[in-house]
Amino acid sequence: MPGRSVNECWNVTNLDDYRLLEEPYYKPLGNEVALFEAAYENRMPMMLKGPTGCGKTRFIEHMAWRLGKPLITVSCHEDMTASDLVGRFLLDVEGTVWHDGPLTQAVRYGAICYLDEIVEARQDTTVIIHSLTDDRRMLPLEKKSEVVRAHPDFHLVISYNPGYQSVLKDLKESTKQRFGAIAFSYPEQALEAEIVSHESGVERGVASTLVKIAERSRNLRGHGLDEGASTRMLIHAGQLIARGVPLGEACEVALVLPITDDPDIRDALSSSIAACA
Amino acid sequence: MTVTELKQLLQIGSGSDEAEPSVLTEEVRAVFDETEIARWLRASRKLEQAGYGYSVVRRYVRHSVAVGRLVSPIAAIDLADAVSILAIKSGLATAEKLPPAAERAAERLQNDQLYHAWLGLMQRVAAIAPESMASLLGRMDYLMAHLNVSRLEAWVLAGVRASGGDPERRLRFFEFIDPEAERWLQREAGEVIFADVERRLKIYLAALWDLHNPMREPPVNAPVVARRRSSFDRGIIRLPTSYTGFRGQDAEDLYRAAVAHVGAHLVFSGERYPLKKLKPLQVALISLIEDARVEQLAIRQFPGLRRLWLQFHIAQATGALTAPSLFARLSRALIDPDFSDVDGFVQRGRELFYAREADWEDPQLSRELGGLLGNTLGQMRIQFNARTYVVEPPYRDDNLGLWDFDEDLSQETLEAEQLFDSVRIEQQDEEDETPPDREREEVEEVPDEEQPQARSRSIEVDGIPVARYPEYDYVTGRERPEWTTIIEYLPPPGSADRIDTFLAERSDVVNRISNLINAARVGRHQRHKRQMEGEYLDIDATIEAAISCRAGETPDPRVYGRWERRERNLSILVLLDISESTRDTVLGSHLSVLDLERQATALLAHAMSGIGDPFALAAFCSDRREAVHYYRVKDFSVPYDALSKARLAGLESGLSTRIGAAMRHAAADLERQLTHRKLLLVVTDGEPSDVDVSDRKYLVEDARKAVQSLSQKGVDVFCVGLDSGGDSYLTRIFGRRSVVQIDRLDSLPEKLPLLYLRLTN
Repeated sequence: MPGRSVNECWNVTNLDDYRLLEEPYYKPLGNEVALFEAAYENRMPMMLKGPTGCGKTRFIEHMAWRLGKPLITVSCHEDMTASDLVGRFLLDVEGTVWHDGPLTQAVRYGAICYLDEIVEARQDTTVIIHSLTDDRRMLPLEKKSEVVRAHPDFHLVISYNPGYQSVLKDLKESTKQRFGAIAFSYPEQALEAEIVSHESGVERGVASTLVKIAERSRNLRGHGLDEGASTRMLIHAGQLIARGVPLGEACEVALVLPITDDPDIRDALSSSIAACA
Repeated sequence: MTVTELKQLLQIGSGSDEAEPSVLTEEVRAVFDETEIARWLRASRKLEQAGYGYSVVRRYVRHSVAVGRLVSPIAAIDLADAVSILAIKSGLATAEKLPPAAERAAERLQNDQLYHAWLGLMQRVAAIAPESMASLLGRMDYLMAHLNVSRLEAWVLAGVRASGGDPERRLRFFEFIDPEAERWLQREAGEVIFADVERRLKIYLAALWDLHNPMREPPVNAPVVARRRSSFDRGIIRLPTSYTGFRGQDAEDLYRAAVAHVGAHLVFSGERYPLKKLKPLQVALISLIEDARVEQLAIRQFPGLRRLWLQFHIAQATGALTAPSLFARLSRALIDPDFSDVDGFVQRGRELFYAREADWEDPQLSRELGGLLGNTLGQMRIQFNARTYVVEPPYRDDNLGLWDFDEDLSQETLEAEQLFDSVRIEQQDEEDETPPDREREEVEEVPDEEQPQARSRSIEVDGIPVARYPEYDYVTGRERPEWTTIIEYLPPPGSADRIDTFLAERSDVVNRISNLINAARVGRHQRHKRQMEGEYLDIDATIEAAISCRAGETPDPRVYGRWERRERNLSILVLLDISESTRDTVLGSHLSVLDLERQATALLAHAMSGIGDPFALAAFCSDRREAVHYYRVKDFSVPYDALSKARLAGLESGLSTRIGAAMRHAAADLERQLTHRKLLLVVTDGEPSDVDVSDRKYLVEDARKAVQSLSQKGVDVFCVGLDSGGDSYLTRIFGRRSVVQIDRLDSLPEKLPLLYLRLTN
């Protein structure tokens, strides 16, 4: 499963643990599946752009399952160093032993490596993927004096949330230009309701109401909110409702409170939710 | 009581022969005991002997008895002193009004302590605002209907402060000519006022309808009836200052209902209906049907709105068959499926409306049905008075926005409104006696299409009001919301060369600072050894661990090392005081205080741009609370370039030091920075002061409050004081550890950058 932590998987040589056994539910919004398959044929590094919780991660899981490849996911954070991706020496009884990082594993044994929220990582960390993203397709392990040639199955995918962009956090131009990109956004009403209904188990009617509520919050994007409620949030609210929580409370818990600390916006959102149902 | 009777009364107990105890009525005897009667008579006699005239004395005698009955005999006797004080301060005509007002106050308060608090307040006001006393007493009933004594005191003091020592403005306030008076009253009365909920309503409108129309209060000159309902016109939504009679949650719901309703109009109402020759009755009915139509469409989309709106439909299916009552019942019948009304007109209206459910999308439906119902009503010979008609329920708007009156609201008014909305501030009333300057007069003569540019040009020169901030009044212990207005200016560019020349002259200092900067520079890597996690094996730790292993001991697991960048994560805003006092020449130098501030800032800016911290430069001075001038020398988002230097060179001394407001505004900029630390560096040369504040402590306490609230928001405030004498108040404002005094002013340029490096490293 993709959620498995790296430390549990020291020195694996086959990546079976990273294979998806069941088909992850994914409802295509357009021709992104075909586009991704074409990109994969050429091992073209891909960038999945879109707001949080709109289904980027689910999409890549679905594609990994479709293509029958293992998927190694790394959630990037601001303290992440190159060693966290590439690997490091560890100490054991006999002396030092090298341990491949998740990126090196994917390169060596052939997996889709998905770097989630890449902008979060420090810029000096992100440059190490450069040699993997052009026709060299190799990863130099400086400390180990080794060059790892990429396995033919290796494919690099990153996710990138344009909403987070700021002067402080943005991808280097030289990094950006190495990727092809697929844009994601929240699905249109009926489709989103179908997804919410499928994932949370609530009826279509309730799911439609939830989608309508989400649209209210998305109207506030740039007018007090950085981002409206995501499909993921709606699924959360739906799951609560499916457990018998009343809609208003479920939305309060899953949507209003997490999304903002501003009392005025909370108030307006709660009132809008009341208007929707 | 005749004069003779009064005279006789006053003789009692004075030792005179004419004394005639029979004039002491039963009422008096019921209120006072023997000794109290004597004291009361003595007090009355004193008033008479002071020569205030019988009119004053008679009123005192009459109303004080009532006060004595309602509150206490002592209260009645004490009233005499207050009358006397008012007579001295504000004149006899005013003093005459006190006893009746006191009786009414006593009626409301019925409590000795509260009554005395009220009486004390009257005496204080007579001392500080004698000219307004008569107006105040004249409106006492109205005021006390809304306010208790402590809130009344807060309201009165707000009025006194608001006028900044100008008796005429004070009078305008207490006469309620100044709209602030009403607004403050509503606020003190605890009514939900528009300003409190404005932001929420805007967000609500945006969330619900994805509309971003500006919202306003009704214009000051609007008639009272027009101020009671919302209204919309060409994109601008007007909402009442408050909904009288609704409080707390109800009032907020009412505002929300009004906004949702106007939003429904904006989304579903089509073109304006031509007024043509329609009668007022027809207009009202068509509007009513249109209200119901857009609400039904809105409810289709947002079913919860029905709940929100229904709570205000309280019409009952009984009562007189008047037009307003029938209209309210019809309104309810059209939205409330559970409402049943036997009246033929209401039933017919409902049947007609629901029979055409398929056509609800069509705005012309309202005209058609309204016309039909108008005929029905006409046959019933129901009178309709258009002048007194007010739309019900209260959340509905006056419907003026639905009709085309053929009057041309000129485009520039609209743009002007929107312009003001973009800075989120209400239009200021011109209260200054000074005539508008040339610049502005010219602007108004500019032809329409050039208006917007002309206006923005005038902003460059005149400054633009951008924000309002509260101010803390230590006397009442409360913040007065929206008390100060910040007007932003771009300082006229001076010569950037001046700055560069100065830097060249002081190259020694510049070099020294540059060396320090290099030492403090961003991005130095630091090696961390013996870590639990890291990028490489720390060789020393590894060897030790290996030895431990061989020796059979448990090795220390901290065998890694890593490189870490020590990132500076700080933004800084330098706020310069450029009040009049900075014009003074510094002892032993030919430079003014402002010149030294400028030089110091130039060196500091040099240091800051060298280190790479995001920084901004600004200056302030003030001219009363309505005009706190704020000069943007350099913003965070722009580079420190020749223009910034020119602006720095262009700063000039003038006006006063309202430091709290300026700090709040500077901090608002600073808060938007994403850095970990935010530092506001204030350079000031004197005590906070302003022409409309006479109390020296007031602005100091406000500034102190400002510093405290900023530190809660994560903004550190540090002050550089240029006035060695003013140690105590700066310490009071900023706290002992956050003030540094520069005693030799000419050393400021060197010291400021060093201070900055010390503060930030």
